[in-house]
Amino acid sequence: MRGFDYVGKRVLFAALTVFVAITLNFVLFRTLSGDAVSALRCRQCTQAFKEYQREQLGLDQSRWEQYKLYLQDLAHGDMGKSLRTEQPVTHELWPPLKNTLAMVTLGTVFSIVFGVLIGVVCAWRRGTWADKGGLWSGLAFYSMPPQWLGLLMVLFVAGWLGLPTAGIKDPTLGILGDASWWAVFVDRFRHMILPALTLGLVLYGEYALVVRSAMLETLGEDYVLTARAKGLSNWRTVRTHGLRNALLPIVTLVALSLGFIIGGSITIEYVFSYPGIGLEVVEAIDQRDYPILQGAFLLLTLAVIGANLLADLLYFKLDPRVSG
Amino acid sequence: MKRTIAIVIAALAAVTLALTACGGSGTNATGSGPTESGATVEGGILRVGSINYIDSFNPFHFIESQSYNAFIMLYPQLVQYDFEDGNYVIVGDLADSWETSADGKDWTFHLKSGTKWSDGQPLTADDVAWTANTTAKYASGPTAVMAPALAHLKSAEAPDPATVVLHYNAPVGNVLAQLEQFFVLPEHVWSQYAVGDGKGLKTYAPENDISTMVTGGAFTLKQYEKKGTTVFIPDPNYWGEKAHVEAVALTYYTNADSMIADMKSDQVDWVDQVPFNAVDVLKKDSSIVVQQIPGAETTNITWNSNPYKDNNRELLDPQVKKALSMCVDRDKIIEVVFNGYADKVESLPGKISLYENKNLGPLEHNCAEGNAMLDQLGYTKGADGIRVAPATTGKYAQPAHKMQYEIMQPTSLDFNGPRAFDIVKEGFAEAGVDVTLKIGGDSTAAYEIETTDHCDPKTNSGYTGWDIAMWDWVGYVDPDFMLSVVTKGQWCSWSDTGWDNADYDALYDQQGTTVDENKRAAIIQQMEQMIYDNWVYTQLVEEQYIDAHTTQWDGMDPYLNAYAKMYWTRPHKVG
Amino acid sequence: MSASIQGGAAATEGVDVSAARRPGSIRHVALREPTAIAGLAIIAFFVLVAILSPILLTGDPKEKVGPIFEPPSPSHPLGLDGGGADMVKLLIAGTRVSLLVGFCAALVSAFIGGAVGLFAGFYGGKTDVALMRMTDYVIVIPDIPLMIVAAALFGRSLTNIIIIIGIIYWTTTARLIRAQVLSVRERVYVKRARALGAGNRRLIFKHILPQVAPLLVANTVLLVAYAVFAETFITFLGLGDPSVISWGRLIENAFNDDAILNNAWWAIIPPGLCVTLIVLGATLFGQSLEDALNPRLRVGHLSVRRFKVRPLRGKLDSE
Repeated sequence: MRGFDYVGKRVLFAALTVFVAITLNFVLFRTLSGDAVSALRCRQCTQAFKEYQREQLGLDQSRWEQYKLYLQDLAHGDMGKSLRTEQPVTHELWPPLKNTLAMVTLGTVFSIVFGVLIGVVCAWRRGTWADKGGLWSGLAFYSMPPQWLGLLMVLFVAGWLGLPTAGIKDPTLGILGDASWWAVFVDRFRHMILPALTLGLVLYGEYALVVRSAMLETLGEDYVLTARAKGLSNWRTVRTHGLRNALLPIVTLVALSLGFIIGGSITIEYVFSYPGIGLEVVEAIDQRDYPILQGAFLLLTLAVIGANLLADLLYFKLDPRVSG
Repeated sequence: MKRTIAIVIAALAAVTLALTACGGSGTNATGSGPTESGATVEGGILRVGSINYIDSFNPFHFIESQSYNAFIMLYPQLVQYDFEDGNYVIVGDLADSWETSADGKDWTFHLKSGTKWSDGQPLTADDVAWTANTTAKYASGPTAVMAPALAHLKSAEAPDPATVVLHYNAPVGNVLAQLEQFFVLPEHVWSQYAVGDGKGLKTYAPENDISTMVTGGAFTLKQYEKKGTTVFIPDPNYWGEKAHVEAVALTYYTNADSMIADMKSDQVDWVDQVPFNAVDVLKKDSSIVVQQIPGAETTNITWNSNPYKDNNRELLDPQVKKALSMCVDRDKIIEVVFNGYADKVESLPGKISLYENKNLGPLEHNCAEGNAMLDQLGYTKGADGIRVAPATTGKYAQPAHKMQYEIMQPTSLDFNGPRAFDIVKEGFAEAGVDVTLKIGGDSTAAYEIETTDHCDPKTNSGYTGWDIAMWDWVGYVDPDFMLSVVTKGQWCSWSDTGWDNADYDALYDQQGTTVDENKRAAIIQQMEQMIYDNWVYTQLVEEQYIDAHTTQWDGMDPYLNAYAKMYWTRPHKVG
Repeated sequence: MSASIQGGAAATEGVDVSAARRPGSIRHVALREPTAIAGLAIIAFFVLVAILSPILLTGDPKEKVGPIFEPPSPSHPLGLDGGGADMVKLLIAGTRVSLLVGFCAALVSAFIGGAVGLFAGFYGGKTDVALMRMTDYVIVIPDIPLMIVAAALFGRSLTNIIIIIGIIYWTTTARLIRAQVLSVRERVYVKRARALGAGNRRLIFKHILPQVAPLLVANTVLLVAYAVFAETFITFLGLGDPSVISWGRLIENAFNDDAILNNAWWAIIPPGLCVTLIVLGATLFGQSLEDALNPRLRVGHLSVRRFKVRPLRGKLDSE
């Protein structure tokens, strides 16, 4: 019963936060900004579109009515239409979102891999220069502005590795004929490596720390001592148990890091001209396409809320001290 | 443990190396060194890198010059320019030959036959006549952007599918030059928008769904990504000089570093405008050919010259504008912003145009005199060094206020706008005027700021809420277009200054119908002087036009940029 | 190949907190740690540069003094940037602005967070719940996108940026201060004062605030790091105040001026390095201060920006 209690509470909290976020979104874009989302300012929009906006946004009605309309539309998954393309916002945001998710996933994989490797080395060589060096390097990368690190990657690494530094695809692939899915996959992957690597470097420090802590803690535990007494291979035991201990914090970290990843990836995407949701946000600002901006911002906020909820639930499931 | 780590690292490295090694750099074969321009090799994909993007495929509504390049590729023109022996000459595109009537008012064009649109429909004189008539019909509104090309047109008719006759109200001196800017549109697609007030013509956005787009030109459009890659495929039905390549891929780069890096690593063949900080680096690279010609793009300070604007009206006084302009160090702009690759310019049409008035100014950099002028005009400096504009009375009465303004810039400038702004700010500060930079968004957004929401020339509404901007213009050989942008007729269309001067507009109409070249030149120069004396713009510099391509390609002619389909069809690989 | 086995406590990197408990000796403890000293030294160095900048800079730092991207030379140790201006001068000018933004935004955050935490912790009950709920909601809003959106909607002035950064980052401070207030509230002398009839205001300002202040100061140091960092994000995307030179703007300039193409590492590396150093310095110093003041609040040492929600290991967040 305690478990259900906890889960219920967290879900309820998440739901309330979603509601607050939605309301904040409305207040920010429609009220505080003098209604930036209204299409009536865009001169090249078709007459039909202006009528649609007037109706959909309820511009002739009171703010309260507008808010209700806004909630109603959201309930149907309608985030309005882009001022420039007159297409639904969700339709416009989906491809960049996919691109960002792919790159961020790869980046997280990099950071976990680096983190585990370095964390293990640090724990293994606790107190030595390797330990200090590992932790310091993690902290150093963590303190760097990601866009700056991205520039350094382009300056020093890109040429050396022969990797592309802009966009997500080779423009000529598949123009004159169909490219095989493998060629497309490789092409996309190559374009993702540098941005993901930048993200990975910025993030690995905390994973290293977590893994190191977990390993060291494990080293002191009774069953490990027992295992050693029994003669089992030192490191195999420590490693397995240590990494298992680290699992919970790592997973929680991933979920919690989402807020930063989202922020950091915007500037990384800008450096690499990577067509993800971050770049979409920057362009929407440039084009004064506020419905897109509003939609993207809401999506990002919902992503963070969802990630936090996930972290809470996982924490609950995986941490024996809580669920026990 | 060591072993496991080592294996993991090795595996990661192997995977990464494998994936970086495979996946290649496109379908071009890499040569072993710089090749001489030798035999033309057909085929291949021309990969173009650009810092200018295409914002529209609708000739009635666009701002970016790259869109204009796209129109040239995609739509038929009656005539176009070619560049031979150091001169621009008019040659035919859709039209094979032409003659004019004795009184100069009727122009008959004989079109090539058997021409088709991209959807297989016949491309005939009917389309030409329809486009011309529709453009003329809505010239004061939706079609104003393309209307100058058909100035003074009374009507167009198509006596047979291969002949089109343009009837003008009066003999027009530069018909061919103007028609070079006229794009023929498919009647069977566009006529649905020419109903009612015709606004549909302007708001139709083919770029939102290119699968429904119908084109007729040297190329068809296969793929469009506004901030990505646009792919053009040669149109098999094209009636002119056929392209050598199998496709043209125009990729927009937000960052010039990546663009040039891609050219060096053989992923881009041609950069159509080299950023000024990159020129010297490229010149040192032996695998890249850098071409440099005097350009057509002039940068300016745009003064809101709307006589009906409601505040900061001191900026309507030409003497004030002149005084401030005298404090701007244009040499510094050339040095710092353009790295030396620009020249000072005085006239609005620019040095590339015919009949340039070479007696304008020149604008001297003499802030002492500028300050003296402002002192004399009664704008005294306050304790903080900023001048105060005294209170005025009358219809547009305003209280006394400091001379503090915002200068607006779009983000889509192809040079470093903020640096140019710093220099202007410095100059103005010396004159006791304080300015701050406002970023107005991309071209469309910035333009909307200038013209404002409810822009309407009939009620003189628009052009309020801003005072100064910094932008640029790309001019033409024939100065008609550049001269038209400051007419009342281009209010809410091409005009970004909101100037309204009836005398000037009269001269503009007059030059349009003056056939005698010398007489026309005289009128044009008089107009240039008027613009100069009124300081509608402060012309800053004219950028040189620099492009670059790898040594594996040839046939790129920077002189043809924005003038001819051959700009895109002549480039070819060399063997 | 025997790893030394430590006692059960989760080991963290280096700060020895066993010594001082009494706030009076934080300086004592913090200054004994080499990393903390290093952090303080870095911060002090940059602050000194910022304060001395009017003296160090003669004339306009943006002035063109040579060809663009000229490599480092004896007269210009860090070379010239894309506009031909001396990098050293630009960096000095940037230090002033970046630190100004950092400190001001940190103060805004500290003020808001401190107030929220103080009142929530002191009054408890409904006030506490309400304030903490509000904090919870603010935490989940992704910071960088919000700053970007706010800059886009409300204009790009320096004041706006300071306010925006300040409004977003107060949440960790609020929780920290609240926890501290809760613990101080129960202390004997506070109870005694209350028993003697001291009013709430007196209690807060005379008894509790002084106990909380050192921690607030320590946290503010960390907030400075957040703020300097956040400023570079906003500026890099072109949303910064166009009229000021900050480290973020220098990085943006390098990007827009084709520094990479010109192999001008001297235009790219220094400004980012400065940001990294400040963030590092603030993290090291601030963290050790925080640990020294209240080791039980150990939040995990890489928490400069992130762990706004809950500690790394240990208790769930307060229920």
